[in-house]
Amino acid sequence: MRMFKLLISPKFVGFRNGLKRPRSNIKIKIVTLIGAGILFWLVLFFLFYRVLSYFSSQEIIGDILARHLLAMVLLIFFSLLIFSHIITALSNLYLSQDLELCHSLPATLTEIFLSRCFFTVIDSSWMLLVFGLPVMMAYGFVYHAGPDYYLSLIYVSFPLIIIAASLGIMVIMVLVRFFPAQRTRDIIMFLSVILIVILYLLFRFLRPERLVNPDTFVSIAEYLSALKAPDSPYLPSHWATDLLWTRLTRYTGSQILNHLLLWSTAFAMVVIDIWMAGLIYFSGFSKAQEAKRRSRTGRRILEKIVSVITRPLGPDTTSLIAKDVRTFFRDNSQWSQLLLLGALVVVYLYNFSVLPLERSPIKSIYLQNALSFLNIGLAGFVISALSVRFIFPAVSSEGRAFWIILSSPLSLRRFLWSKYFAYLLPMLLLAEMLIIYTNYLLKVTPFMMALSTVTIFFLVLGIVALGVGLGAVYPNFGHENIAQVATGFGGLVYMIISSVFIALIIMLEAGPVYTILSAHFRGEAITHLQWVWIVGSFILVIFLNIFAVQRPMAAGLKALNGYEG
Amino acid sequence: MIRFENLTKYYRGIKAVDDLNFQIPQGTIFGFIGPNGAGKTTTIKMMAGVLRPTSGRIYINGLDIAKEPSKTKRILGFIPDRPFLYEKLSGVEFLRFKAGLYGMKGNRIGEKTLDLLDLFELTEWADELIESYSHGMKQRLIMAAAIIHDPKIIIVDEPMVGLDPKGAKLVKEIFKELAREGATVFMSTHTLALAQEICQQIAIVDKGRIVASGTSEDLEKQAGVEGDLERIFLKITGGLESK
Repeated sequence: MRMFKLLISPKFVGFRNGLKRPRSNIKIKIVTLIGAGILFWLVLFFLFYRVLSYFSSQEIIGDILARHLLAMVLLIFFSLLIFSHIITALSNLYLSQDLELCHSLPATLTEIFLSRCFFTVIDSSWMLLVFGLPVMMAYGFVYHAGPDYYLSLIYVSFPLIIIAASLGIMVIMVLVRFFPAQRTRDIIMFLSVILIVILYLLFRFLRPERLVNPDTFVSIAEYLSALKAPDSPYLPSHWATDLLWTRLTRYTGSQILNHLLLWSTAFAMVVIDIWMAGLIYFSGFSKAQEAKRRSRTGRRILEKIVSVITRPLGPDTTSLIAKDVRTFFRDNSQWSQLLLLGALVVVYLYNFSVLPLERSPIKSIYLQNALSFLNIGLAGFVISALSVRFIFPAVSSEGRAFWIILSSPLSLRRFLWSKYFAYLLPMLLLAEMLIIYTNYLLKVTPFMMALSTVTIFFLVLGIVALGVGLGAVYPNFGHENIAQVATGFGGLVYMIISSVFIALIIMLEAGPVYTILSAHFRGEAITHLQWVWIVGSFILVIFLNIFAVQRPMAAGLKALNGYEG
Repeated sequence: MIRFENLTKYYRGIKAVDDLNFQIPQGTIFGFIGPNGAGKTTTIKMMAGVLRPTSGRIYINGLDIAKEPSKTKRILGFIPDRPFLYEKLSGVEFLRFKAGLYGMKGNRIGEKTLDLLDLFELTEWADELIESYSHGMKQRLIMAAAIIHDPKIIIVDEPMVGLDPKGAKLVKEIFKELAREGATVFMSTHTLALAQEICQQIAIVDKGRIVASGTSEDLEKQAGVEGDLERIFLKITGGLESK
């Protein structure tokens, strides 16, 4: 036990030292993070509060829907917790740089294993607090729950986290045991596919298109039974739902079975994990230390394309972009993120393909054009979500090898703009494809098609510049995993600024577009004053776009020029 | 030729380099030695254009690195003390990348890459990812990359760290050969025997200032101690009394 305490102590000492010796701008960072966190909590709380208040106003069906939603939320949290533990366990148990030191200490394997599991639980479970608390608070408020509900939240969360962690750790131990040493790419690819399948299943369980079309159900009983799809009495989230629901509804019947199931499963899983660790953990860790050799297949075609496209930019820029392309496709964490974001794009397109436009009470042509307009904003947010993962970390991706760029004749201005152009083309292609395909599904007018494609073109110019520029303002060259970069303070700042930028562009265009469409459908002429307003708005849009490209790039360059390691 | 003019650097509030003034002639192997925290790496990073001086100037072959960084860096080769590289590139890809950054084109890159891989005994590992290289192999790769563009000045921070005796001998030979061909080698090291063996001139730096400089014989006179460089170094930096 003493050794366990020692093994986990560096994390706490490091955290305490970080608080004692704050870096510059720490106050601004803390205030921004707390502010964004509170805003996010409030939005989520009020969203669920509104939905649950509406449910509770519906007789009979209301409580069923609320319980169903609780089951759904807990199932999603439980699934995400398992996946999050799989990812962090891979790093904490097999890949972290301090593991060699840990294994060289006179500690037992169980002590080392448990200390790494402890880090894994800490690293993975914070999101339950961030995302779960406002949802559970909304339930408590709507159902006027007593203190026993809030206490039972802690009581239920604890075994739920332990079960999810144990499952995640178990999965990673088995995977590392069977895959060749250090083949983390295969493992992560495999995990990503699992996540996509889970996401897909959850999405199908939600059946949003059926809920907006009750005609497809013969009776209310069938409708309700359709709602029960994701619930199963064998799932720990089901036991947790039952326990919380009895506290919310003050149900006085016995819940002893659910108590026993939840806690005994948690204990059993911990025991099984420790037993499995004794059998396979060290051999897996040992394998992970072995040197790996690259397969020589390569990606020659892609490299040739990159070389041809970038040749006019000069040998230095060509070298830099070719290096970035190679590094990107050989980095497992980038691949797994690419797959996940691919799923995001698929779900996004799928939503448009199932929209019941023909049944809408609003005149279809108005709705289609309004949706197409909103679609510009939504596509912008999708591009921002992709950019925070891939473009924002572009500068940080140089890692500790950034000295090579600093000591080379390549100027930092050229370096930054090379990054910009390297990401601009794929992002433009993706954004235009998204917009054109969704507009095709919506069957919009040629005017809206032209407006959407031009607007998204300029939006992407700004979003990419914001990503590269702010990535240079908030670089993290000391990262162990490139995926960490996007989740830091800079990533949050990027998402906020990028969202504001998109919202401003949409707001500036919304009024004039509405005026033009209304005049067109009503057959009325646009007045001179309205023309001045329309032209003025679009000029402002152009200026805003120029500003969004120039400012972040200049700020990024200034930050890199002042970088001192 | 390398020339420092009133070079000063405050690093996070601490004066790491204090008003350095000296020059090194072309074709010299110059040893820059001093205790830990003396300001050696900071000086080297400023020479390589990785750090900016707080004040003062560094001239490399008459070019001010602050005013003409790209032009100056073209004639520099920098070898840092820790071999941080792009781990997802192979050795040959890294050398090609480095050559591209220095504006090299076409067949010249291919020929030079093969020659250097051969010289540093990395040919067998040329197509393997750098992440599978040992520390010494990474160090040899960095050295190969540093000289791929035929620099006039080579700046080296702790050249022997991680090298086996064979690798160390090879590096010594290469430095001597480069100096014979007219290149200047500016080398920071804790390996005093190495400095004594191959450096024509040595400067001892302590607390950011040069406390002694010249040939080995000059340093003996300045320290008032006869014998090897270790005794001279300890006398000058105060280590002999503490013993």
